[in-house]
Amino acid sequence: MNVKFLNPFVEAATEVIAIETGLQLQRGDLQLDKTPYHTNDITVIIAMVGSVVGNVLYGLPTPLAVALASRMLGEKLDSFDALAQSGIAELGNVITGRASVKLAEAGYESTISPPTMVAGKDIMISTLDRPRLVVPFSSEYGPFTIHLALREGSGVVLPSAKIPVPHRPDIH
Amino acid sequence: MNIKFLNPFLEAAAEVLEAEVDLTATRGSLSLQKSALSATEITVLISIIGQVQGVVLYGMSAATGMAIVSRIIGQEFSEFDGLAQSGIGELGNVISGRAAIKLSQAGYETTISPPTLIIGKGAQISTLDFSRIVVPLDTRLGQMVIHLAVREAVEYQTVNALPLNSAEYISATVRGEMNQQ
Repeated sequence: MNVKFLNPFVEAATEVIAIETGLQLQRGDLQLDKTPYHTNDITVIIAMVGSVVGNVLYGLPTPLAVALASRMLGEKLDSFDALAQSGIAELGNVITGRASVKLAEAGYESTISPPTMVAGKDIMISTLDRPRLVVPFSSEYGPFTIHLALREGSGVVLPSAKIPVPHRPDIH
Repeated sequence: MNIKFLNPFLEAAAEVLEAEVDLTATRGSLSLQKSALSATEITVLISIIGQVQGVVLYGMSAATGMAIVSRIIGQEFSEFDGLAQSGIGELGNVISGRAAIKLSQAGYETTISPPTLIIGKGAQISTLDFSRIVVPLDTRLGQMVIHLAVREAVEYQTVNALPLNSAEYISATVRGEMNQQ
């Protein structure tokens, strides 16, 4: 794991969450974790390929997910329903997309995958031989963690694979 | 979701299980699912990026996972430890890599991501607006279920033709079109 990949994600997450939701996050201390991640309710998984290869996980408890989705959509949601899920997946998508733009500016071109969402507490998510750099943030609704299991790639991105950000999930 | 993307994965899975594990896989009936998948104990998740994009999931029970990995590595596993996890992740990686080659032969260039393993029964895995084609593969060591949630990325086709600084090119093209109006 290359620490220089860290700042683009920290900046992107802080900026996107502030812009989209108005919520301020306080950053905690970094950790490097080789064991599987024990989930905290909701996890968004996004993969990256190109000059940066690996996975990014965003973990958060349900109350924070509902609060973020409510603020993004401008309506009060009571539960983590399909609309909220779509909103949180989109948030992961936008943060990762913005981080990938910053990485490209630093000379690391990459492409990101569509998001996958895992719901369930204490599920284990393993990035196998790639240790996770964990960046914890705290908020008034609970913790938000970013997990980076990334390494430098060959830099060979198929020309056909070059798109900045995948489709926005449809809001139903 | 286009059904033509399914066969490369089914063929690759059957070939890899045959070659690496000496297992014959029998394909069960297909279904299309839009709701979140309620995971079995082990799920390997691999993203596919390129002219076909989305995610492929390989789900199985812990017993099946351990039986398969015991054969790949050549030692018995009594728990699903780090080595076993690595083995199952690699199996997903090899199947998806082989499927990507087949997709490429069919004219769809893709790159696959490194695998992520989701361990825990009952996890809800959602591919959001990508519906999943679900195919169970039965073997004598148990069932492996392939979930394919991908679609063709239409807008890629023009990207090949763009010069390196595509942002300027696009903005110049848009300005040109506006001038014509």
